[in-house]
Amino acid sequence: MNSLLDRHPEQDLLPYLDGELSARRAGKVSGHLESCGRCRAELEELQDTLTDCASYRNVLTAQMPEAPEEWRDLYRDFSRIDESLANNSLLVRLMRPLVHSGVPRWAFVGGLAMLIVLLSLNQLRQAPSVQAATLLRKAVAVSQSQPRAAHRIRVRSSRQPEFTRMAGVQAAVVAVAQAQAVAALFQQANWDWNNPLSASAFEQWRDRQVHKTDEVKAVQDPQSPSTHLTQISTTSPDGEVEAASLTLNTDDYEAVSERLEFRDREWVELSEISESPTESASGSGASSTGIPVRAAETPSRPAAFAPGSSASISDELQVLSALNTIEADLGVGELQDVTLTGGKVLVTGPGSIPQRRQEEIRSSLAKLPHVEVEFTSLPPVSATSEVAAASGSAAGATGSPMEARLEKRLGGHAEFDRFSTQLLDLDDAAMKRVYALHNLAQKFSPDAEAQLSAQDLNLLHELSRKHTAVLAEKIAEMDKLLVPTLSSLGGAAASVASAGHGSWQSAADEVYRNGRRVEVLISQMLGMTQGKAPTNALPSDLMAALNELRANLDDCGKALR
Amino acid sequence: MAIFRQPQSGLELQDQVAQLYTETREDVYRYLLTLGVHPPKAQEAVQEVFLRLYTSLKKGEKIESLRGWVFRVAHNYGLKVRARQSSEEKFDPAIEAQLTSPVANAERQLLDREKMTRLNTAVEGLSEQQKRVLFLRMEGLRYPEIANALGISASAVGEFLRRALLRLKKVRDE
Repeated sequence: MNSLLDRHPEQDLLPYLDGELSARRAGKVSGHLESCGRCRAELEELQDTLTDCASYRNVLTAQMPEAPEEWRDLYRDFSRIDESLANNSLLVRLMRPLVHSGVPRWAFVGGLAMLIVLLSLNQLRQAPSVQAATLLRKAVAVSQSQPRAAHRIRVRSSRQPEFTRMAGVQAAVVAVAQAQAVAALFQQANWDWNNPLSASAFEQWRDRQVHKTDEVKAVQDPQSPSTHLTQISTTSPDGEVEAASLTLNTDDYEAVSERLEFRDREWVELSEISESPTESASGSGASSTGIPVRAAETPSRPAAFAPGSSASISDELQVLSALNTIEADLGVGELQDVTLTGGKVLVTGPGSIPQRRQEEIRSSLAKLPHVEVEFTSLPPVSATSEVAAASGSAAGATGSPMEARLEKRLGGHAEFDRFSTQLLDLDDAAMKRVYALHNLAQKFSPDAEAQLSAQDLNLLHELSRKHTAVLAEKIAEMDKLLVPTLSSLGGAAASVASAGHGSWQSAADEVYRNGRRVEVLISQMLGMTQGKAPTNALPSDLMAALNELRANLDDCGKALR
Repeated sequence: MAIFRQPQSGLELQDQVAQLYTETREDVYRYLLTLGVHPPKAQEAVQEVFLRLYTSLKKGEKIESLRGWVFRVAHNYGLKVRARQSSEEKFDPAIEAQLTSPVANAERQLLDREKMTRLNTAVEGLSEQQKRVLFLRMEGLRYPEIANALGISASAVGEFLRRALLRLKKVRDE
């Protein structure tokens, strides 16, 4: 252990200052500090930075507005709560004597059964409604702590043939002809059509219903029996929507499907097109999801030869290319979206981008026609999802078994920290490119591409190649860092047969799925999220996922050549 | 930070929650403003959070750190409120404008204005999660409490915080 003492405990300095180290580790750090000027200096700098942060916070809070009203006296509310709790606990009190007295077990079970019958006969429907509300609240909280990148959902309805569309935080509001009929249904019902398949949209609707009945039950996914799903069904006698049911993944609270029944007998079913790790085991997923998608969205995008009065995808491409020169690509930079809408190319970004950078972005686009740049003060959404933003179930988790094994393998906590920092940085950089590539593939489908001029096509491919090149580099670095460690933990990778993609776009779709999977596995390995798969399989899973990512990226690169 | 013991009488519990409310409400209120919640909504939310705290304790829930609990619930509640107000503008403390305004600066001669502006830019540049971790740390929460509030592991909190400070340090040194 002496060798550990000799190394500089850089990772421990901050927790040491914050008093978050165990006594033993803190002792080691202070021992080291006595003899190491470099670490003392670093500690001092950290302390100074923290002091600065504290004064920054003070300045920030000092200029915030006071609470607009006088603070309420809570005592009256306390009494109200006391009363309502007293009523609710009646049931508990009724049952208590049954549990504690020497009543035979059968009698207890029988009594319980009777109670359940009584309860269901009674209008005591409160239990499911509380359950539904709690579940929804949790699901909304989780979705907010991990804003989802744009994702794709499948829409089936009584009005239209099946189609798919993008949804989620980065979704562009595209008026797809096919979707309009369904969109109209949603708008009538005041249901958020921008992100229809979400706990928050469901919750917003449910909250508006005055006389509602809820039901909560566990359901099974026939395609993946190991997935636990929970379905919340709510019916309401008023409003446009008669009944709605939302199915959530019980493990991560993600909305997977939804069915709405309208009062005029129309119905709509939405389902998530899975990007879950289970699906990426083979490359076959792409064909079923990729193609109809593009077919659905292409018609709304004016082709390159559109008249000069309004923007075309060629203009959009020019914008993306200009943004690339200042590293502000979608996914890589801090921008939220570039969309073709209302005859313009609309570039949007969060208002939190520093002024200087906003100027830089504006001036890089100044020479291009039909461009509008908008920085709004909506909550910033980072294009790469935070790896560590786990669901509530991981709360307070202190290290996975894998984390412990890794730490041992790498030779200590400090090494583990260094390893994880390096890995997370690499993953972060890689994912930015994955998103950027995915974005381009989404925007320029094979059909749309066919309408581009040769010059534009070159430009598009060059942009995409840039991303694949950087991504390949990052993956190679990740390999170098990871593979020796994973092998030593018993990981072995199966060889990957190339799925053979028809277009670079479908390969990019697959790269996106693989990238997400790698990201999830890495965060599980580092103990930042809890996974469903057994720990022992992690090293092999991660190696396999990396291999698949590499293979599909290769395909993508080849198709771009 | 002491472990909270369930008080004997209901009145005692009321007093304890009321006292914590008086001591902490301003901090929680301002934290909600940094999340982008509008002042009236933020104030309402704070009151609601303390009522929920009272309800939970009254039901016999064991809560180790009351302050941690309050911030965790406020955080989640605040995000929910913020999502609802999405049609309006998000509340923006507009620090940038005020940091450079001479009036605001006269009041805090001790602070290096340049440095504060730089720091502000750097904080704005942090990822959402880094920012949240940093702000909660500034509220005096311990790592496990922050972990609980954000639904991440304590080691991830340390890592986010360390990265955030490294970025800020770099800016300071510029």
